[in-house]
Amino acid sequence: MTAETDRIESDVLIAAPVERVWALITRADHLGRWFGNAGAEVDLRPGGALSLRWSDFGTFHGRVEAVEPPHRVAYRWLSRRESREEPTPANSTLIEFTLAAEGDGTRVAVVESGFDALDVDTEERAAALASHTSGWTSELGELADYAAQVPAAR
Amino acid sequence: MTAAVADPEPAVFAALADPTRWRLLGTLARQGEGTATTLAAELPISRPAVIKHLVVLDRAGLVTRRRAGREVRYRVEPARLEQTARQIAGLAAAWDTRLAALKALAEDG
Repeated sequence: MTAETDRIESDVLIAAPVERVWALITRADHLGRWFGNAGAEVDLRPGGALSLRWSDFGTFHGRVEAVEPPHRVAYRWLSRRESREEPTPANSTLIEFTLAAEGDGTRVAVVESGFDALDVDTEERAAALASHTSGWTSELGELADYAAQVPAAR
Repeated sequence: MTAAVADPEPAVFAALADPTRWRLLGTLARQGEGTATTLAAELPISRPAVIKHLVVLDRAGLVTRRRAGREVRYRVEPARLEQTARQIAGLAAAWDTRLAALKALAEDG
């Protein structure tokens, strides 16, 4: 039982060519719409600055880690809202996008990792831990159901 | 991850993040009601270690305790677990939600 605590993975098949998807995950005007919802800035080169804005959460800053057009881009983003610290494994997580042609479309895989090394306050840590795999969720649910079936007193 | 997080439950997540505590919770759920002694008998950790973990789980509201004579008996608190499961489902879905938005944007254009 229990779960991977260091990373979260997800992927999706998109009916659009790799080049178009590449633009969407690397251009600020697009990132500010589907990742953030109130704009973004990105200097697309290793070490370049990244900012993602949300209308209700504020701005999160980070850094471009790797750019390999049109198949791989990696960003590091700070776990603390509005922080402009230098990103390190202690204060940020790594987001890696991998694009692969699949039929006429593009498979986008994302891995966000580095939760175990975070050294942030309890609430932020909790938020990070909360990104456990969804398998964990169903196990929790099953455990809750199981516990609920057991008579209240013996 | 904090960006997409609404209303986290720090104590609960911290309590569940430890594999030993997670296993202890599962064992307690199977036992229905257990004591530090009955739990230690089924787990590869000492009774004092069990007690330490039970304190954390109790503080997070994941177990309830009652005194029966000289014993303290514990049980899993299902409501708290269900609530936590719902929250985690929402949080783990953050990337699925973002990728769905990416997909919609890509296929629109």
